[in-house]
Amino acid sequence: MNDKIAKALYRAAALTFEELGFMFPSADLDPLQKYATVDAVGSVDFEGPQKGRLVVKMCGGVLPVLAANMMGELEPPTDKLQADALKEIANIVCGNLLPTLAGAKQVFQLKTPRVLAMTDDFAPTPGQAPTAEAHVGLEEGRADLLLFLLES
Amino acid sequence: MALNVLVVDDSAVMRAIVIKTLRLSGVALGQIYEAKDGEEALRVLDENWVDLALIDINMPVLDGMDLIDQVRGNPETADLSIIVVSTESSETRIENVQRKGVAFVHKPFTPETLRQAILRATGVIDERQDSKSSVPGGGFDF
Repeated sequence: MNDKIAKALYRAAALTFEELGFMFPSADLDPLQKYATVDAVGSVDFEGPQKGRLVVKMCGGVLPVLAANMMGELEPPTDKLQADALKEIANIVCGNLLPTLAGAKQVFQLKTPRVLAMTDDFAPTPGQAPTAEAHVGLEEGRADLLLFLLES
Repeated sequence: MALNVLVVDDSAVMRAIVIKTLRLSGVALGQIYEAKDGEEALRVLDENWVDLALIDINMPVLDGMDLIDQVRGNPETADLSIIVVSTESSETRIENVQRKGVAFVHKPFTPETLRQAILRATGVIDERQDSKSSVPGGGFDF
């Protein structure tokens, strides 16, 4: 586990949840947040000076609230729009994280974000451990962020 | 002056975010148009008066960079104020975007960030700064 990248991952995610989701992220998880179950998983692959995948898991009913906040709605939007919100979150966190991996001048190509089935293998190669991960407490749930880097 | 704004993004959620943030920014807004790709944006521009376009880069059909080139190449829209709203963080790519005469706002963004970019892109004077009143959206730095 790379602590420096993990801290950058947490910062990128916290900023995104604050500014787009109007949520108050927390690095210290209470028991409700810690044991919340996974509801939805999104990912975005990237290529460039480093190749890899960022996976975002939303847990404990956070996604409907987050999507509603992002859109400025009082009620949770449709499942399709919640999936769209999850993909945007993955895309934005990844875009903000990548300069910390290789420097601000480097150019990365982000692929189209996806929503993964719960049965999918989230790692780009089977059994691969994440290079870095971060856990962000949000309301009564949390977001797990896992970064997988592939050998160039 | 109320600005007619075109928001171009293939994500319905991101279009909603941009529109919500526009409304929180305190900028006087007229008509707000939406387009999900560059081709749809060109049709909106052909049929309506638009003062400002907020454009994503990565889109299907016709992406943001090609859209900007077509807008700049058309005498009727060449002077349109454009802000690219993107997750792009590479300084190299951002400089390439800015060379096309457009402003850049990085996602995520606050209402105040968007407001300042709009004021720079359109040249509209920020009357609120002169009157020393609080700036709407400025308090969202949680």
